Amino acid sequence: MSLLIKRFLTVLVFVIITIAGGLLIEAFLSLKAGWLFGHTQTGHLVGWVGLAVILLVFIYPLKKRYRRKAGWPKGWFWVHQVAGIIGPVLIFIHAGSHFHALVPVLAMLAMVIVTVSGVLASAVHRKALYLLNDKRKELLNQGLPLEVVEDRLHDMASSEEAFRIWQVIHAPMVILFLALVVTHVAGALYFGGV
Amino acid sequence: MRFLPLPRNAVLFIVMTTLVLLAWVVWATFKYPETLWSPGDLSRFHADIADCNDCHQPFRGAAAEKCIACHTRNSFVTQSKSTLSESHQKMKFEGKSCSDCHTEHSGALAQISSGALINPHGEFVFRATDTHSCSACHDFSARDETHAKLLDSATVRHLLEEGEGAHQLGKMGHCLDCHKGGRLNIKDEGD
Repeated sequence: MSLLIKRFLTVLVFVIITIAGGLLIEAFLSLKAGWLFGHTQTGHLVGWVGLAVILLVFIYPLKKRYRRKAGWPKGWFWVHQVAGIIGPVLIFIHAGSHFHALVPVLAMLAMVIVTVSGVLASAVHRKALYLLNDKRKELLNQGLPLEVVEDRLHDMASSEEAFRIWQVIHAPMVILFLALVVTHVAGALYFGGV
Repeated sequence: MRFLPLPRNAVLFIVMTTLVLLAWVVWATFKYPETLWSPGDLSRFHADIADCNDCHQPFRGAAAEKCIACHTRNSFVTQSKSTLSESHQKMKFEGKSCSDCHTEHSGALAQISSGALINPHGEFVFRATDTHSCSACHDFSARDETHAKLLDSATVRHLLEEGEGAHQLGKMGHCLDCHKGGRLNIKDEGD
């Protein structure tokens, strides 16, 4: 099994354990509260905090796009990655495993797709890119012609390209996720009260 | 880390998908509001309610004014036991909201009163006795910390007489220990 496949499977196991952890915490809190935790005041608060943490994620792409020279780029990327995991976990604790209303279910699904594609980018695709570039440098330093190098790197390049799919999913799905979150929050305030 | 730019059509595709989805949400909100917005099925007590706005006031939640439109003072006096009517009057004077003690959308068989959320008998007892609330057999106004007082009503007397001696005080906590799957599952002594 290649290193990339191992990393891919590790990410999947990590995602499943994280989701299960969030759902178990919600189940415990629901038992303690006597009814669904997400419908309690604390449950609502956890939802708002989760949303606030998720919004922190957008500082990095906005700064990258509009204020490229502004400071602390690595720091904001770190915030992007950490908040991109903690925020969704809080949302899972807020929501639990009660999938009934379609709008929050779709919002949750979009959130999972965005988060998992981001984690795959960070844990698998970045590694694939580094491995490919390092190997290319090594072969070129040996004096091999570019065509031969590219030929030898065909398999590695294919793997890198396969995992590059996260790019097509991650950023565009954010649009769908945000639209569904706004719809869910509007509906929750309309039916549940401000 | 350098990446290739996104395909030009990717963003356009997702924006179009989002717009179509939002249009569908607006349409389905009017057509199937429960599917889109309800966090759970209504209890059997409110199963006949079809319009969300019968109970919810926009941006104010499940408002007490909506509850008392059906649960009027008259209905309490004529349909409930005096203790229940009095306890609700008392809570009203204390300024408590209906949602302080009651919940909804927890499923067709769920209890909706905070004191009755844990029903030791299971839902089977309601079917077996053809009752709809705990207060059909219990007086909650006189309960101590752990037990509700048993009423001396026809339902209670009938229940105690049934079951060939199995229905005794102190043995009624878990109906489903004997009535598995909601069916009478007690073997006769001769079997």
